[in-house]
Amino acid sequence: MLQTGFTRASLTGYTGFKSSPYTEGALFYGEKLVDRSAEEAVSAQTPQLEEPKTLECPPGRT
Amino acid sequence: MAPGLSDQEAALIRESIRDKYSRVAASGAVSCFQYPTGQEGLRQQQYPLDLIRDFPPSLIDSFLGVGNPFSLGPIYQGEAVLDIGCGAGFDALLAARMVGPSGRVAGIDVTPAMIDKAREHAAALGMSHAEFRVGEAESLPFPDDAFHVVISNGVLNLTLDKARALAEAHRVLKPGGRLLLADMVLVAALPPELAGKIDNWYQ
Repeated sequence: MLQTGFTRASLTGYTGFKSSPYTEGALFYGEKLVDRSAEEAVSAQTPQLEEPKTLECPPGRT
Repeated sequence: MAPGLSDQEAALIRESIRDKYSRVAASGAVSCFQYPTGQEGLRQQQYPLDLIRDFPPSLIDSFLGVGNPFSLGPIYQGEAVLDIGCGAGFDALLAARMVGPSGRVAGIDVTPAMIDKAREHAAALGMSHAEFRVGEAESLPFPDDAFHVVISNGVLNLTLDKARALAEAHRVLKPGGRLLLADMVLVAALPPELAGKIDNWYQ
């Protein structure tokens, strides 16, 4: 999501719905920046984008 | 072409996904999914049941979502919302209820039978501000900056080029617009005998 331009991108949690022992539903949020200049300003001031926040709650718990 | 797939593999996956969801549109979701669907899925994901009391049973039964994207934030009256992979229209029509007649909702899906169902459901509810069309997440048939909100529920994992699908969602959002996404993710490594199998896409 960050690579495609979203800001405030985050994995906010898991839903508890599993389609296999290896896969589970998850919820993601992101926003499109208000304007290009803001995007460029953030890019210029951000040495390295952080990875999206993960595992605030472990798989299997909503 | 989808990353890491031959043209033939990509075509097989697209055709098989369309076949699966055509069958679901014709016969229902029973035994097609490992997780609760329909009313039970909605209850477990804590959907706002007060907003869907008049939804026809066939629309309730059509819910196949893997989560509740509406739990990620409010949708306001008058907003424009796009549902990518709308199926028979449940989430899109719930969004249409939230935005009201002053807003508008568009739903796209790769399965024509699902779009037919969604149009029937919208007509049954008198929701003329919801429109549905066949389309792909990787090439959305909408102009730039068209929507306040993009939602999607259990669909991005089925797209062959996820980066392109996300870029398209970003393109059609207005500046300041929100992406509310529920989807399947890997939570454990696939065993070697399953990793890379084409039919993982549409089982």
